[in-house]
Amino acid sequence: MSTVLARRARRERALLLSPVLLLLALVVAVPALRVLLLGFTRTELADGVVSSWAGLATHARTLGDGRFLSALRNTAVFTFLSVLLEVTLGTALALLLDRSFRGRGVLRAVVLVPWALPTSVMALAWAWIFHDTFGMANDLLLRIGLVETPVAWLAQPGTAMAALVVADAWKTTPFVALIILAGLQGIPREVVEAARVDGAGAFARFRRITLPLLVPSLVVATLFRSIQAWGAFDVVWVMTGGGPGGSTETLSLYAYQSWFRYLDFGYGAAIAVQGMLVALLLAALVVRLASRREEA
Amino acid sequence: MSRRGAGASAVLALLLAASACRPGGNAAPGDGVVLRMLVPANERPFWLPLAETFAKARPGVRLELEEGPVPTDLRESLTTSALLSRDGAYDLVYLDVTWTSKLAAAGWLLPLDDAFGEEERAALLPQALTAGVFRGRLYRVPFRTDVGLLYYRADLLAKAGIAPPRTFAELEAAARRLQSPPDRWGFLWQGAQYEGLVCFFLEVLHGHGGSWIDPETLEVGLDRPEAEAALAFLVRARGAGGISPPGVTAYREEETRHLFQSGRAVFLRSWPYVFRLAQREESAVAGRIGVLPVPTLSGAPGSGTLGGWGLAVARASRRPEEAIAFVRHATTLPSQRLFCAPTGFAPARRDAWADPELLAANPFLAELGRIHASATARPVVARYAQASDVLQRHLTAALAGLSPPRAALAAAARETRALLGEAP
Repeated sequence: MSTVLARRARRERALLLSPVLLLLALVVAVPALRVLLLGFTRTELADGVVSSWAGLATHARTLGDGRFLSALRNTAVFTFLSVLLEVTLGTALALLLDRSFRGRGVLRAVVLVPWALPTSVMALAWAWIFHDTFGMANDLLLRIGLVETPVAWLAQPGTAMAALVVADAWKTTPFVALIILAGLQGIPREVVEAARVDGAGAFARFRRITLPLLVPSLVVATLFRSIQAWGAFDVVWVMTGGGPGGSTETLSLYAYQSWFRYLDFGYGAAIAVQGMLVALLLAALVVRLASRREEA
Repeated sequence: MSRRGAGASAVLALLLAASACRPGGNAAPGDGVVLRMLVPANERPFWLPLAETFAKARPGVRLELEEGPVPTDLRESLTTSALLSRDGAYDLVYLDVTWTSKLAAAGWLLPLDDAFGEEERAALLPQALTAGVFRGRLYRVPFRTDVGLLYYRADLLAKAGIAPPRTFAELEAAARRLQSPPDRWGFLWQGAQYEGLVCFFLEVLHGHGGSWIDPETLEVGLDRPEAEAALAFLVRARGAGGISPPGVTAYREEETRHLFQSGRAVFLRSWPYVFRLAQREESAVAGRIGVLPVPTLSGAPGSGTLGGWGLAVARASRRPEEAIAFVRHATTLPSQRLFCAPTGFAPARRDAWADPELLAANPFLAELGRIHASATARPVVARYAQASDVLQRHLTAALAGLSPPRAALAAAARETRALLGEAP
C-alpha cells in the first residue's frame, strides 16, 4: 500500500515539475545542444550559407590557429588577474563593512553602485579615464609626478590589459564583497571572542579563524567571478575592441567575430565549445582545491 | 495543486513557448503594404522625408524606419541576425560598402541587375556602383558616399609660409615644424584595431604604389617593398620623436576629430563629415581649415578610400517589387537632395554633385568632388571581414612595436593568401 502511495507521489512530483523542466529544456538545453552540434559542422559561403558535417575537423582548426591560442592566453591572463584582484579587494572591503560604524548601512548600499551599472556604460567611462590626452588617469599621474609623459594606456598591449583588469575589478569587486560579507556574518562571534580571550592578536584571529571559515564564500565568489571573467565580452569590446594587435582579444570576442562578421558559424561554435570546456575544467579545479583544503 | 492543474500549466508553458517561437509575426497590417528598414537612430530624421515622398509616389506602400544603434558594428550584427533568421523582418537593407560581399555570398540579398539597367547605373558614381557588385551581379545600390581626405590648419601653414603638402615627405616636414607635442601634434589618423585603420592604411599603401588584394586575381601585395615603406612611414610617425601621438593606435574617428577640432593638431586624416562639424561656431578651428587629397610619394593627388552606404533588397522580403521601387526612389535627384542637403553627406548620383541646390546648401561639395573622383574602393571578396581583420591585427602589432613592419606584413600576406586560397 505504501509503495503504491510512494509511486503516486513520485508521479505527481514529476508532473508538477514538468513545466519547469520543459521550459528549461527549451531555453537552455536546446540552444546549448545546437551550438555543440554546430561545432561539428563546416560553414561555407557559396551561393548561400552551406553547412556540412565535418566531424572533428572544425575543432581541429583551433590547433593551428595562432589567433585562437592568443585569445585563449588573453582570456586566461584576464581571468586570473581580474579575479585575483577582485577577491583580494573584495575581502578587504567586506572586512571593513563588517565592522560597525556610523553610516554603515548607507555605505553598504553605495558600494553596490558600480555593480548595478551596465557594463558597457562603465566601460565607456573607463575608456575615457584611460584616454591618453583627455584622460583622468594620466592627469592624476602627471600631477603626482609618477609619470613624466602621458601614457597611451589603451594603445600598448600590457597597459591595455591592465586597464581592462582595473575596469573589471572596479565593477565586480562589490559583488565579491557582498558574498564575502554574507560569509563573514555567518561566522559565530563567540569563536572570535574565544580566540581573543585566549590572547590571539588581530592578524592571528583573521588567519586562524576568519579565513578558514570564509573558504566556502571565497570559493563561491572565485567560481562565479572566474566563470564570468572567462566569458568577458562587453568590457573588452567597448574599451579596446581586442586591440592593439589582438593582445586583448578574448575567446568570446573571437567567437562573436566568427559568427557575426565572418558568418563562419561552425568555427564560431567550435571556439565557444572549447572555451566552455576549459571553463568547466577551471571550475572543477577550483572546487576540488577548495574541498581538499577544507578536509585538511 | 491538483494533477489537472499541473497538466494545465504544462500545456500553458508549451503554448507560451510556441508563441515565442513563432517567426516574425509582422505581416503587413490591413492598411496596405509595409516595408521595413533598419537605419541608425541619428539618420532617421533625414530618412523620414524620403519615406513621405515615397508614400506619395506609391500610394498604399509605407516605409517603416526602425531606429538602430549608431555604431556600425552593432548594426552589422543586428542586420546579420535579422537576415539569418530569414523571416523577412527587414525588406530593405541599409548597408556599409564592405558588407556587400558576405551578405551576397550568404545568399541573403536579391540581385538587382534586372531592376537597374544601363541607364540607371550610368547615373550613379562608377566606383560606388562597382563596390556593390559581387561575382558579376549587382546587389547594392549606392545611396551616399564617403572618401578619405587630409584636413590641414590653413592658418598655421600660411603663417609659416608652408605650401599645403602633396607628398609624404612634405607632410612629415610640415607636421614636424608646426607641432609642439603634447599640446599640438603634427598628424592625426585612425590607428585603433578596426576597419578605419584599414581605410587609412590603404591610402598610405596606394600612395606608396602598393596594393592589398586584387579583387580579380586575388593577388596579395602586402609583402612587397612598397607595403613595407608604407607601414614604416606610420611606425615612424607614431614612434619616439614622431609626428603622431603614441595613443593614436587607440584612436577612432571621433577621438581624432575632437583633438583636431580643439586645435591640438596640424593635420588630420578623416572623412568629409568632419568639415561641417569643424566649421561650427564652437569649434576652435572654425574658418581655419582646408582639405587636400591624401598625399603620395610622387606628389600626384592621392586616392582616398571610398566609403559610403547603399541599399539592398533582402531575399526574404515578401514585397521585393515595392522594395526595389524604394531603392529607385531613394536614388532619384530630388531624394538625394532631400537627404544630403540637411546632413552634408555626399550623394551617390553624379548629377547631384553638380546640383546648384545642393552646392548652395553645402559649398564644400565642389571641393570634395575633385577628391572623390579618384577614390579607390576596398576589394569586394567574400571573406572581406576576415581579410580586413588579419590586416588590422598585424598593422596594430607593428604600430605598437610588437613586431617589426616587415615581419608583420609577411605574416599578414601569408594569412591573407591562406584565407583567399580556401574554398569560397
